[in-house]
Amino acid sequence: MLRWIRDGGQTSEFEGVALVHLDLLYRAALRLTHNRAEAEDLVQETWLRALRHFDQFDPGSNCRAWLLTILRNAFLNRLRREGREILESDMAATEAGAARLEEASVARSSPEEDFFQTVLHGDVDRALKTLPLPFRLVVTLADLEGLTYKEVAQVLDCPIGTVMSRLSRARQLLRKELATLAREHGYSKESR
Amino acid sequence: MNCREFDPRLHAFVDGELDAGPMADAEAHVSTCPGCHGRADGERRLRQLLRRQPRETAPAEFRARILALARRERTRKQVRAWLGTPALAAAVLLLAFMLIARSLSTGGHESEIVASLVDKHLAYAQLEGPAEFASTERPAVAAWFRQRTGLRVPVPDLSPAGIQLVGARIAEADQHRVAYLLYEKGHVLMSVFMVPEVGRRAALAGRSMSFRGQEYLAQERQGLRTVSWRDGQTLFSLVSTLDYEALLECAEQLRAERAREARL
Repeated sequence: MLRWIRDGGQTSEFEGVALVHLDLLYRAALRLTHNRAEAEDLVQETWLRALRHFDQFDPGSNCRAWLLTILRNAFLNRLRREGREILESDMAATEAGAARLEEASVARSSPEEDFFQTVLHGDVDRALKTLPLPFRLVVTLADLEGLTYKEVAQVLDCPIGTVMSRLSRARQLLRKELATLAREHGYSKESR
Repeated sequence: MNCREFDPRLHAFVDGELDAGPMADAEAHVSTCPGCHGRADGERRLRQLLRRQPRETAPAEFRARILALARRERTRKQVRAWLGTPALAAAVLLLAFMLIARSLSTGGHESEIVASLVDKHLAYAQLEGPAEFASTERPAVAAWFRQRTGLRVPVPDLSPAGIQLVGARIAEADQHRVAYLLYEKGHVLMSVFMVPEVGRRAALAGRSMSFRGQEYLAQERQGLRTVSWRDGQTLFSLVSTLDYEALLECAEQLRAERAREARL
């Protein structure tokens, strides 16, 4: 009994490896839900699931990818329950649409990227919000949080090739959106 | 490597995700091709812009809540581990039989939904301002739910019993989206959960309790008392340290409020 009480006061192994990723989970949840209360609820659910299944976590493997995988699944379950399901077919359509867009813009692509200087505070947030979920997710993980392709593939449960193509399309969409915002600010070259 | 071969590798090149061989080839190509050089540069700048974004951190009170969750869960696990010692096995077995017998007599199963509602209550009870939408005005809270969820949520007046409305949240428990009303008696939080059971009914257990002609299920968890009942397609659950009589009184008010709403 005494031993139990003593152990109860120690930092658990789970916290030892997971706590450093709490901010990352919180940011990712915010990007997914766009709402603080929902994000907190999502992270809380993720945390409890992770705690309860910590015995399934391989200590040698990647903890942040493991936690983000749980977060993503919890989020998708919520969408499904609310009838906001991202169907695979929708996703394929989104990707096809983006692919056409990409071809079109590659054909007349110019290395000129003037708008980078005129991106205002908050533009990236606004632009990210316009991205369809699969693209927003991949950019959040790879670009904002700096996960490797391999980690992103683990979280999204897809091949690395899919991560690459999705990331490329996501950035294309993001760039287009950022350029639009820059034009709206009236600073870009075309409007001068 | 030519432009055609470089193109599909552009992002992996910029992200440093190519193997050594292809990386060297790509570098060689970029150094001689102004077009691809410019595109790689543009991608790099986008990437830098994204990396420069401010990185938010979880609020301190949320962090504290998460830590409290972990502590409780740990205690639960340790109790389980502690019970695993051989000396206690027989006693546990006996206890298990007793519990099974009791659950058979009430026809119930292990109730996950109430367990997760109790978790919610405990997590929010530690906060200074636990409500997502803080208001003591019943019509404002009802309007907030209508706007956020499209649900008509009955918000009873419990002030005759000295229980004041604090506000509302939308929560998630055991895969159900839950309307959550927060009341307070003195400094004691009372949580009112309403779980719309569309399609799937949550498992619900407890001792039957009858109060003024209505049936309720009561169970104690983690030092808290809970009273639950079903009304149409909705599961209601009250969680607090308040005594059963106070909870059942509130339950009745809630039923009455719901009936009044239905008549409108």
